[in-house]
Amino acid sequence: MLAVFKRELKAYFASPTGYIFMGFFLLICGIFFAFSNLFTASPEYISVLSSITFVFLIVVPILTMRLMSEESRQKTDQLLLTSPLSVAGIVLGKYFAAVAVFLFTLLITCLYPVILSFFGTIAVWEIVGGYIGFFLLGAAFISIGLFISSLTDNQVIAAVVTFGALLFIWILDWIIQGIPTDRISGIVFACVLVVGVAALVYFTTRNIYVSVVIAAIGFGIIAGVYFTNQYFFDGFIVRTLEWFSLLKRYENFMMGILSLSPIVYYITFSAVFLFLTVRVIEKRRWS
Amino acid sequence: MIQVIDVTKRYGQHIAVDHINFTVDKGEILGFLGPNGAGKTTTMNIITGYISATEGSVKVDGFDILEEPEEVKKRIGYMPEFPPLYMDMTVQEYLDFVSDIKKIDRAAKKRSMEKIMDLVKIGDVRKRLIKNLSKGYKQRVGLAQALIGAPPVLILDEPTVGLDPKQIIEIRSLIKELGKEHTIILSSHILPEVSAVCGRVIIINKGKIVASDTPENLSKRLSGTGRLSLRVAGPEKQVLKLIRELEGVKDAEVQGVKEPGTVDILVEAEKDIDIRRPLFYALSRAEYPILYMRSVDLTLEEIFLQVTTEEREVS
Repeated sequence: MLAVFKRELKAYFASPTGYIFMGFFLLICGIFFAFSNLFTASPEYISVLSSITFVFLIVVPILTMRLMSEESRQKTDQLLLTSPLSVAGIVLGKYFAAVAVFLFTLLITCLYPVILSFFGTIAVWEIVGGYIGFFLLGAAFISIGLFISSLTDNQVIAAVVTFGALLFIWILDWIIQGIPTDRISGIVFACVLVVGVAALVYFTTRNIYVSVVIAAIGFGIIAGVYFTNQYFFDGFIVRTLEWFSLLKRYENFMMGILSLSPIVYYITFSAVFLFLTVRVIEKRRWS
Repeated sequence: MIQVIDVTKRYGQHIAVDHINFTVDKGEILGFLGPNGAGKTTTMNIITGYISATEGSVKVDGFDILEEPEEVKKRIGYMPEFPPLYMDMTVQEYLDFVSDIKKIDRAAKKRSMEKIMDLVKIGDVRKRLIKNLSKGYKQRVGLAQALIGAPPVLILDEPTVGLDPKQIIEIRSLIKELGKEHTIILSSHILPEVSAVCGRVIIINKGKIVASDTPENLSKRLSGTGRLSLRVAGPEKQVLKLIRELEGVKDAEVQGVKEPGTVDILVEAEKDIDIRRPLFYALSRAEYPILYMRSVDLTLEEIFLQVTTEEREVS
């Protein structure tokens, strides 16, 4: 894992990628810092962190598009996969390298609140909490990018799809507001989910019996829940989609609340996508 | 050392490798011969654990590739058809990285690195970016990568493809040299290459093993129908008639006239009959001097044709 980590880190700075990422990130961050703190003489630094989250849409694809796709295009995955390394070790090494570049860039921006502290009082712990949230949010986005990069051997496609996925998460909260919350649509949505899972199982295992059994169990659960607690389906779609809303949890950090549950949430989110990445690579070897 | 048991690989409906069985003994150099798309690379990818077989199992040194992949992978050095090189690294950086992922400790690395670089002659480019190396050097770095950690088994997928003749000879003698210490599987679609280096040859076609023998036996078996190319000074019609009437000649055809007053003829003999002497005496009696006579080697395509039709006759 360490070897892959070191190689990836070097690769970021052997090509323009690392510099483009850092340059762009620091430029945006600097502009917002200048406009919201320096020009207005305001010590309210946390607002910078909350307004620059859009920068992830652009910089995360830069950071992650190459990670797995380039390996399969250059056939260097053959070297990694035939070495005694585990797939999880490879994926983690790459993930941590991307996260390290991001973290390093983020640490540079810590200069801004330090500058502010010379001229007034700043809310230190609020800013520390904000940074933790910002870092976790970025790390979660990077895990999505890494996953998408493992699906294709074309960097450009990886970048565009990652951008699309992040954009979807970005507008998710806005989408949620327009979604029906009545009971019927909740039940329909649950049924669609069950069918979707069963279809996914069928397409991966080609076993019709297993998928039918899974569908039957799913519908059974829906019926069971319906007869015991009908209210469960009120707003079911919204609750499901909210689970994916990375930004909603980020708001807590921005308000200066540092609680355990969003931290666990972000780490779990990243872990799920890293796990999926490992599965994708393993699966490709089997098919 | 290597046991391949009933290995099959399916891609949807397409069967890339079809129930292949073979074993490789310690210290053996096995040649894997087959046309493009025969399943050579797929088989090698399965042995090295890059892809998984649909059915069957592979054992290296007694370890199963699915049950103990790490133990197997430690024992194999793999040089794929396209050397897996990171273009943004220098040769030295790359080989350091490979020793790191192969989990080789520092002391052993230092000792072996110089030796390997000397062996494949890349010491003079160690500081250069792999991106800027020529094809031949890239190939050698790919080979060096496989040698790191002194794995007992080497698997080389078309190691000489894309090299110039001088480099091909160098790599071949290098492989022979390596064969003294390693068990080697080597794939190729060039027959002379395999027969020059390997102790045993497996011919694979459409995912199936069609022949497995020493190169000598194989060529003996295949040279059953001797074919000769002749240049005879004399009138085309008479010469051709004379040769065709000779006992043991299966067929003869004119290949053209390259020298005035002579004719080039391809003669095919009956199985297991040496017609060179009768041919010489018959033509000299008729005072049609033979300007040259040489046996025509079978091309790979013809060998496949022959081996596959033989199989059909047997079954």
